Amino acid sequence: MKSFEELDIRDDLFYAQTHEWVKKTGGNARIGVDDYAQSSLGDVVYVELPSMGTAVTAGASFGSLESTKAVSDVNSPVTGKIVAVNEALSDNPDLVNTSPYEDGWIIEVEMADSKELDALMKSDAYLAFLKTLDPVD
Amino acid sequence: MLNAIHRELKGELTDFGGWEMPLWYSTGSVKEHLYVIEKSGVFDIGHMDLLRVKGKEAFNLIQLCLTRNISKLGVGACGYSMILNEQGHVVDDTIVYNLGKDNLGKDEYILIVNAAMGPAVQRHLEQHNVFQDVTVTDESGCFSKIDLQGPASVAIIKRLLEKGRGTIEGLRYFQFRGDYSNPVSEIAFDGNIPILLSRTGYTGEVGFEIIMPYGKTLDVWNMILDAGGSDVIPCGLAARDSLRVGAVLPLSHQDIGNWPFVHTPWDFALPRDKEGKFTKDFIGSGIYDNPLSSYTYPFCGFDPRKTETHGTSVLWEEAPIGTVSTCAIDMAIGRMEGKIYSVASPDKPASFKPKGLVCGFVRVERPLEPGAKVTLKDSRRSIEVEIVSDIRPNRTARVGI
Repeated sequence: MKSFEELDIRDDLFYAQTHEWVKKTGGNARIGVDDYAQSSLGDVVYVELPSMGTAVTAGASFGSLESTKAVSDVNSPVTGKIVAVNEALSDNPDLVNTSPYEDGWIIEVEMADSKELDALMKSDAYLAFLKTLDPVD
Repeated sequence: MLNAIHRELKGELTDFGGWEMPLWYSTGSVKEHLYVIEKSGVFDIGHMDLLRVKGKEAFNLIQLCLTRNISKLGVGACGYSMILNEQGHVVDDTIVYNLGKDNLGKDEYILIVNAAMGPAVQRHLEQHNVFQDVTVTDESGCFSKIDLQGPASVAIIKRLLEKGRGTIEGLRYFQFRGDYSNPVSEIAFDGNIPILLSRTGYTGEVGFEIIMPYGKTLDVWNMILDAGGSDVIPCGLAARDSLRVGAVLPLSHQDIGNWPFVHTPWDFALPRDKEGKFTKDFIGSGIYDNPLSSYTYPFCGFDPRKTETHGTSVLWEEAPIGTVSTCAIDMAIGRMEGKIYSVASPDKPASFKPKGLVCGFVRVERPLEPGAKVTLKDSRRSIEVEIVSDIRPNRTARVGI
């Protein structure tokens, strides 16, 4: 996996301890997994996507990522209803690796309460959190 | 020896039987897997153990302890075999090499056994040694092993051979040339590096296993990458594992181990004649004396989703009948209209793009036929898979070179 210095952790996003990112667009939250997660997982070969309209709860799993190494749950950092699903991942699961913040987004949620974002980490807090997880190369 | 290289190449390192080994390099295991089928991949397999069995009665000891009938194994040939205990359980699997007679007229064989298994297999052989003139030497630490696998490997090896020191012309599947411990080995790499070069491998694809003196490991690794250019990439344990599953080969202590070695896809390692009778006695040849308790089958699923390897139940008509011993993804295959194709299949449909299929082995308590559907169930999910007789089609291991 990438060394700490190589990680791309972006300033305009919110992060969960389980390595999902959230981008706020109006009342919606676009959700994906971050560079740390994709780099630790290795090649993603299958994305188990939820259906449109499914209710999600902050901290609960809504799908999974299958890598050659393991299967990992993806949790929703916010509560709400799924209003968009990135269907491109069905044919190109590797977008999670190659473009985790753009083409590799997973779902979009209409948030029940955007104040939930306050419980998530900004990039500097998240970087400090990542430092506690892995010895820095 | 290659540890610094693995770090430099950004290998994802893991502990493997006490060795720090790369799971994959920066290219990722999917690309590594596909490269071996379409071009070639190089694997650091220095963790394997090597035993040399030598003496006037070396043949007798090996014939007693291996399942393979080595009376048919000519000089320069090697063969896959199981080593069983008296109960017919697997001690280890091995490739045995017949080196012929040394300059004192003594028979000489090499056994390549699994990581850290050298001492255990040596003990096993010595315990059963009722013969006079035979010694078993563990050469761990003296040698290293690098595998070069895939269709481009033939041209790469040819570029590396020292002029006048051997050829791979006419070398067939499961034949070898040379001996790494002989300075005047009949086959050598550039720079007078004596090697044992065998046309074998663990991927199911055409390729070579190269055994060289330990001190030459780094040189050979770099020579292969230089000579191969864009036709070769370093590959890690994950690709090795997924390739070997697609080729229906077992992993020691996972697919074969301390349970009866009967009703497995590897029955070919038993010495049978045309009527199915054993052609010799060997340690463990009474394996059918005990009641049958398990059957091992390869399976292949319908998409890449896999289960845990350990702790997954196998269900048949909703009743648990066994466990999963290996579960991996062969990224080079996919199903179209009910048939499995590989990227190497000459008859693949024009629109074929492999998404990968889950595959592996189940150990179950009742016989199943190919085509039977079973469910694999772990704590997360249930997936339906099909019992099959083969997994990745159109493998190249046996092509003429």
